Amino acid sequence: MSPLLEVEGLTKHFPVSKGVILSRLGETVKAVDDVSFSVERGETLGLVGESGCGKSTTGRCVIRLLEPTAGSIRFDGVDVRKLRGRRLKAFRRDVQFIFQDPYASLNPRMTFGEIMSEPLVIHGIGTRREREQRCKEMLEIVGLNPEHIHRYPHEFSGGQRQRCGIARALMLRPKMIICDEPVSALDVSIQAQIINLLEELQNEFGLTYLFIAHDLAVIRHICDRVAVMYLGKVVELGGWREVYNDPHHPYTQSLLSAAPVPDPEKQRQRSRIILKGDVPSPIKPPSGCRFHTRCPIAQFPLCSDEEPPLREVAPGHKTACHFAKSFPIPV
Amino acid sequence: MHFFTRDGVVKAVDGVSFTLEAGHTLGVVGESGSGKSVTALSIMRLVPEPPGKVVQGDIRFKGESILAMPEKDQRALRGNRIAMIFQDPMTSLNPVHRIGKQIAEPLRIHKNMSKDDAWAAAVELLRQVGIPQAAERARQYPHEFSGGMRQRAMIAMALACGPDILIADEPTTALDVTIQAQILELMQEIQQRTESAIIMITHDLGIVADMADHILVMYAGKAVEFGTADDVFYRPLHPYTLGLLESLPRHDVDEKGALCPIKGLPPSLIHLPRGCAFHPRCEFAQSVCRSSVPPLAEISPGHFSSCHFASDSAFVERLASRACYVSSAPSGGGR
Repeated sequence: MSPLLEVEGLTKHFPVSKGVILSRLGETVKAVDDVSFSVERGETLGLVGESGCGKSTTGRCVIRLLEPTAGSIRFDGVDVRKLRGRRLKAFRRDVQFIFQDPYASLNPRMTFGEIMSEPLVIHGIGTRREREQRCKEMLEIVGLNPEHIHRYPHEFSGGQRQRCGIARALMLRPKMIICDEPVSALDVSIQAQIINLLEELQNEFGLTYLFIAHDLAVIRHICDRVAVMYLGKVVELGGWREVYNDPHHPYTQSLLSAAPVPDPEKQRQRSRIILKGDVPSPIKPPSGCRFHTRCPIAQFPLCSDEEPPLREVAPGHKTACHFAKSFPIPV
Repeated sequence: MHFFTRDGVVKAVDGVSFTLEAGHTLGVVGESGSGKSVTALSIMRLVPEPPGKVVQGDIRFKGESILAMPEKDQRALRGNRIAMIFQDPMTSLNPVHRIGKQIAEPLRIHKNMSKDDAWAAAVELLRQVGIPQAAERARQYPHEFSGGMRQRAMIAMALACGPDILIADEPTTALDVTIQAQILELMQEIQQRTESAIIMITHDLGIVADMADHILVMYAGKAVEFGTADDVFYRPLHPYTLGLLESLPRHDVDEKGALCPIKGLPPSLIHLPRGCAFHPRCEFAQSVCRSSVPPLAEISPGHFSSCHFASDSAFVERLASRACYVSSAPSGGGR
C-alpha cells in the first residue's frame, strides 16, 4: 500500500515585509526548503530540530493552514495542493491538528462541549443530542470527566486542556493527526500522561501521527521514524534506532551529545560536542550545506559551495552530508 | 514563604531546608508551582512584602542570618556576594541601556568603580563569557543580541562582582539544545575558575544530572527529598522522586520502556491536601499519609526525605526495585 502522506520538495518562503526597502529587494525567509518525506499508515514520524528549523511550518503546510510555495503533498493518493472547496473540507476531516499551547488553542468563551462539537457542527454531523453524546464519550476516552462538558477552559489545568485539544482532534475520527509540540508546555509528570494517552489512542483508532517536537527524548520515545531538520532542510531521516544509535550527520550527532541525560553517572562520562555560534538567519542561509558554518568537520570549499543531497546511507536511512558516515556519540 | 492573598494563604514555600557548600552546585528540581523560584527569590530577599512574608525559618550566608540583617547590608550582598541569573534574558535585561552599561552597573554600585574602569571591566567580562568582539558588542543594545548571547550577557552581569553564590533560575529553558550546551559548559568553566557555588533551578532532570552535586526535590512548596545527586537518582527515598524519574522519556537507551506517569494533578497551594501533600497522587499512600504531615528527616547520612516510610527498609527496597535507573546504576554502590 502507498504511504498515507507523501511530501515532496515542500518549500515555504515567507516574504519579508519589514520596511519598504527590504520587501522591494524581494527578500524571503526560507522557512522550509525542498523537504521530502513520507508517512506510512499507522506509524509515527517525528520532526525534530531547534527553533526556526521549519518543523512547525512543515506541519502547517501539510494541512494547508499555510499555502506552500512549491512542492507536492499527496494524502491517501490525492494531491492536497489542488484541493478546493468541498474537497478541501473533506480532506481536513481526515487530518487533524493538536497545537502546542493548550491555553491559546482553546477559545476561552466556549465550553469544552462547544469546543469539541464545533468540528461536528462544521461538517454537519449528528443532531445536537447525538453530538453531546459523542462529546461525553470522547471526554471519557481522553481521561476527563464527561460531566465537564459544560465547563470552560479556565477551570482546568494545562494537562486537562491538552486532553480537550486531543479530544477535539479525535471527534471527526481522522486518519492522521499532526501533533505540533503537544507536550512541551506541560510538566514532566503530566507530559508522560499525555504521551501515554497519545500512544493508547493510536492503537485504539489506528491513527497516523506526524509528531513535531524539539525534545529528543520525547521524539525517541513516541516515533517509529525520525526526520532531523536544520534551517529548513531535512538533514537526516531514518528509523529511530538508526538515527539515535548510529547518526550519520554531524548535526544529529552534536544534538544528541548536547542534550543532557537524566543519569548522573552516564552524564559524568559523556562529553558534549559544543557547536559554535548561533543558528544563522533563514533569510540568508549559508551557501552549500547550511550547516557548514557550525559544522565541526566541514571541509572547504566543498561544504560551502555544494549542497549535499539527501542520500541513502543504509536501507531506509538517509542523510544530507558530503562526509556522511557513522558519527558515534562521544563518551 | 507564604503569600497572603484575597483568596487565602498561598504556602508557596513551606518548611524547606537545605545547605550549600562553597564551590558546590545544588540542583533544585520540581514542577511548575512547586516553589523553586520563590525559594531562590527568598534567598535574594526579592519577594515583595506584602503580600509575601517569611513566616518561619532562617537563611544564613556564611553563618550570618540574611533575614536579620538591616536592608542596607542585604543590598550589599545582593548582586555582589549572591547574584542571580533569570530565565528570560529578554525581559531581565533593560532594553534601553547598552549591554556594557548594564554589566558595569553592579561594579559601579558595589565596587565604587569609575565609569571608565567599570566599562573596561564589563568588556573583559563579556570576553570571558565568550562573546566575540566584546568591545563593539558592549556598545550594543539587548535586541541586537541573540537569545544565547543575551544569556551570556546576563551571566557576565551576575559574575561582575565575583559572587560566592550564583543562583540560576531556569537559565537555559528558553534556549535551544545546542545553545543550552554552550551555556552549561560556560557555567561549569566559570565555576571551576572562580570556585563559586551555584544553585541551579530547573525542571530538567538531565541538566541536574549534568551539573549538580546535591539535589533538592520540591513538591507543592515542600522539600520532599535532599541528597547527593547519586543518592537521589539511584536510591530515591520519596515516591515523588521515583515518579518523576519514571515519567521521563530518555534518548540514551536502546529500548522503548513504558512511561509510568504520576497520576492526577499537583494540588492548589491554597488548599493543600491534609497530611502529606503528595498522598492523593501517591500509589503507596496509607492512612497515616492522609492524617499527618511527614517531616523532612535524615534517613542516611546526608540523605533527607519527607516520606513517612522512608526509613522502612522494605518500602525503600520496593521503591528501588521499581526505579528504571537501578539497572543502569553503577554496581557496588560504595560511593
